[in-house]
Amino acid sequence: MWGKGILNGMRITMRNMRRGPITVNYPDERLVLPERARWAVGPKYFEDGTPRCTACLTCVRTCPDHILGMDIETREDKTKHIERFTYDLGACMMCGLCVEACPFDAIEMTHEYELAVSDPSLLHRNLLEDVDAATAAKHRAAKQTAADKEGTDV
Amino acid sequence: MTILQAVLRVLAAIGLMLLNGVVMIYMLRKVLGHLHLRRGPVYMGWHGTLQTLMDVVKLLTKEDITPRAVDRWLFRLAPVVVFVPSLMAYAALPFSPSWHTVDLDTGLLFTFAILSFVPIGLLMAGWASNNKWSLLGGMRAAAMQIAYEVPLLLSVLPIVILAGTMRLGGIVDAQQRYWLGFIPRWYIFNPLGLASFALFAVTGLIELNQTPFDLAEAEGELVAGFSTEYSAMKFGFLYLSEFSNQFVIAALCVTLYFGGWTLPGLSAAANATLGPMILVFKAYLGIFMMMWIRGTLPRVRIDQLMQLGWKRLIPMALTLLVLTGILDKVVG
Repeated sequence: MWGKGILNGMRITMRNMRRGPITVNYPDERLVLPERARWAVGPKYFEDGTPRCTACLTCVRTCPDHILGMDIETREDKTKHIERFTYDLGACMMCGLCVEACPFDAIEMTHEYELAVSDPSLLHRNLLEDVDAATAAKHRAAKQTAADKEGTDV
Repeated sequence: MTILQAVLRVLAAIGLMLLNGVVMIYMLRKVLGHLHLRRGPVYMGWHGTLQTLMDVVKLLTKEDITPRAVDRWLFRLAPVVVFVPSLMAYAALPFSPSWHTVDLDTGLLFTFAILSFVPIGLLMAGWASNNKWSLLGGMRAAAMQIAYEVPLLLSVLPIVILAGTMRLGGIVDAQQRYWLGFIPRWYIFNPLGLASFALFAVTGLIELNQTPFDLAEAEGELVAGFSTEYSAMKFGFLYLSEFSNQFVIAALCVTLYFGGWTLPGLSAAANATLGPMILVFKAYLGIFMMMWIRGTLPRVRIDQLMQLGWKRLIPMALTLLVLTGILDKVVG
């Protein structure tokens, strides 16, 4: 410890010094996140801007932390209206199970990683608010258009 | 020396001390940063060069908090008791044949005597803060520094024997000729001087409360030791004195072992002109070594430190002293 160890340590720190810094000047420079990085959950939309969510509640039931919630109103013609799709960011552990479970590819793990807020109430987010849920027919139509574009069968 | 001259010299010493503080704090941050693969300060000015100036402004304008439970008089007095000896230690340092505040015949002794006032101030700061961490830090500082004054003084005595004087300028003069025509007669190239330097380097680090011997501050265990309760410029004084002592010990080390203001191959006239710059440059090389050590080694435990001091350094320093005395009589 008192002899060779000290010299070896000094050698290593000097080597580090000559190597130059490996830090990224964070607010000025940012690393590109890996494609599958999991951060805050966010909704996905059709090309026409309407949400892909069909209000099937699969994600709500899957969430191990019980932080997703949905207030739905079902109309007489069986179409659904989403009053509120709530998400408690502060309690989310970003496991991604909700995204895995979603049968309609309607939510995703976004790359939004600057999650600090100055007011705790901002951690309770509404992913969707006062919109009509997508129908299965709409999903079929979208799938058909995508397939037509690529020239393949559904 | 008229009174005006004396005042100007003291002001020059204060200026050098403040400048040293600003430069060394910036240097410490940069050097430690790069040793750890980081960048250190980058935002204020070119490569963060203005960062310490900004910090000085911050310290000057910060609220000066005096906690309710402290011993007010001691609390206010302690930074002064720490700062004044640090400033006085510059008095005997020779920067060139003619550049020195005072040319003391006992310069070496004076510098060490003055530096040994510092732990009194640290102990006062620790005690007056009325805080267990501060008290522990102050006690450690006092225990360490008082104990290590002994090997520190013993470790430089061989140089006094070799040079035959305690005048710091005289010690530099004694190193001015060459061995074999090209090796400068610096004491570092003398086997006895080298041994003395090794002891001085270790005890000097301990005297300075430098990592790996920074048990008095030990931010991991004692928050900030004796300076925990201090804020604003009171803290600034404690901090500044620490850095200033670092410069004093480095300059002393250069004077004792590395030929002071001289460089081999320079004429006496050139040496006299460039002297201050050469000395400061050499001292900063020494400071860089200290920072390098600081960025590398972990802190030792207090029992390891005490064992190192009492069981190794003091016997070694005494042996070296006796050996130097005998060899100097026999050979010289």
